Amino acid sequence: MAQPIIEIKNLIKKFGDRTVLDGVHAVIPEGKITVIMGGSGCGKSTLLRHLIGLHRPTSGEVWVDGKNIAGLDEPGMNDVRKKFGMLFQGSALFNSMTVGENVAVPLKEHTDLSPEIIRIIVRVKLELVGLTGFENFMPHEISGGMKKRVALARAIALDPKIVFYDEPGAGLDPITASMIDRLILDLSKKLSITSVVVTHEMKSAFRIADQIIILQKGKVLQVGTAEDIQNSTNAYVQQFIQGEPEGAIPFKQTSEAYLKGLLDT
Amino acid sequence: MKETCGKVGRTTFLLLAGIARIWELGSEVGRFFLTSFVRPKTIPRETFFRQMVLIGIDSTAIVSLVGAAVGTVLALQAAYSLKTFGAVMYTGSLVGVAMARELGPLIAAIVICGRIGARMAAELGTMRVQEEVDALTTMAINPVRFLVLPRVLALAIMLPCLSVIADVMGMLGGYLIGITGLGINSYVYISKTIDALVLKDIYTGLAKSFIFSILIALVSCHQGLTVSGGADAVGKATTQAVVISIVLIIVVDCLATAVIYYALPT
Ligand SMILES: Nc1ncnc2c1ncn2[C@@H]1O[C@H](COP(=O)(O)OP(=O)(O)OP(=O)(O)O)[C@@H](O)[C@H]1O
Ligand SMILES: [Mg+2]
Repeated sequence: MAQPIIEIKNLIKKFGDRTVLDGVHAVIPEGKITVIMGGSGCGKSTLLRHLIGLHRPTSGEVWVDGKNIAGLDEPGMNDVRKKFGMLFQGSALFNSMTVGENVAVPLKEHTDLSPEIIRIIVRVKLELVGLTGFENFMPHEISGGMKKRVALARAIALDPKIVFYDEPGAGLDPITASMIDRLILDLSKKLSITSVVVTHEMKSAFRIADQIIILQKGKVLQVGTAEDIQNSTNAYVQQFIQGEPEGAIPFKQTSEAYLKGLLDT
Repeated sequence: MKETCGKVGRTTFLLLAGIARIWELGSEVGRFFLTSFVRPKTIPRETFFRQMVLIGIDSTAIVSLVGAAVGTVLALQAAYSLKTFGAVMYTGSLVGVAMARELGPLIAAIVICGRIGARMAAELGTMRVQEEVDALTTMAINPVRFLVLPRVLALAIMLPCLSVIADVMGMLGGYLIGITGLGINSYVYISKTIDALVLKDIYTGLAKSFIFSILIALVSCHQGLTVSGGADAVGKATTQAVVISIVLIIVVDCLATAVIYYALPT
């Protein structure tokens, strides 16, 4: 495996007295695509938010590019963040700006490039995600899939070393979703960008992943290549990739437990 | 009794904590403003100009209208009372002084509070809910610098201008009623107004208006940025922004008037 660019050591996060991440250990290799999977509410987005410094760990360490970001102050964190791009679950485009202005925001804020050069870069980035000619549209005038692609163009505007994707394919038709997968692969292979992708889509995960991390209840259940995961003997992992409602994790509680639960309250 | 005390105590605590947070936001904005002298890029220009247009141009009509209406009412009421002393011709002085010192800044602030304060809170609240604020943070862009600073600056420039417009429109409203309805000679009305007004009336009004603008912008942005939850939380923050700003404006107005006219040497 390549050099690790991110190392998570015994990461614990509590919201109040609820433990959401319960001692996560993980290594993310440089220049590869790592996919994080797991059931809804198992803490995937929370883990991602720790990697970009939006949450501070309750305890544990997060090493990004040689720095423990758990101990960094805001200015230090901002230096690390300039190497990141992040694609949010809901795109998070700025609704009062046009598509072009959205992509230009990081360029205007963090470089001293002239407006003409910025305009050219914006056009190149939009071309890269297949949205040539959409500079002057407002976010509410384009579809959800197009918003995701604009958000991706914005995320890679500064040529980051690492791009994080929170459910890039969620809510998209299969063709658009596989197009986004294609983009992720292209970025990773051609520009050797490290990608960390949170997803539910089994097919897309197996298509793009160099490494898959499966989370369950705030812990890492299994790590391996797509093949390792497909051949896993772990009952939960099998149930998860087959997408079966019955199995190691029951969809319903047993009827006794259910009855007891009803009567208890 | 005990319950009431508890409630009062809690409310006071919340109030003080709220003021402390707004103060904190204000000092952060202040720091960025100072930085902007060294590094002009600190101020996001587009947002700044967009807000100036939004506040200045788009609110002129409504502020003028309300200002003129208040001036008219004031003239009518004043003349009615002044008649008893045979001093109707002093209507102009009264309207002029009241508008410049008090009503102009206050009317402009309250109209802007409803129009712009609510809008700022709703806009920033929606941005928070839709992860746009988080997106800024991950792009290493400070949301206070990028969102709050331009709004505070735009309002601090525009509100004093609007309050001058309210002053003038109020006096104009009074003047029109004075010469038509009350039968005061036009020349007398104008000269009484000018005699009564001193420079201090104008600049204290402007100073107040400046303070109000900072209050409205900080309170509204703070309410917006601290939204957590969904659409209902945004709605609540919007209402809160308007209510808190108006209460603070009135309180600060009382304090400022007391200080300017009683505590400071004349
Ligand atoms: N700011 C917060 N305050 C309190 N609890 C939170 C907060 N953020 C997340 N949680 C809780 O942490 C748990 C994990 O949330 P998270 O968003 O990481 O799940 P997820 O794995 O991304 O789920 P999904 O696949 O549905 O997006 C959830 O049970 C959620 O209720
Ligand atoms: Mg999530």
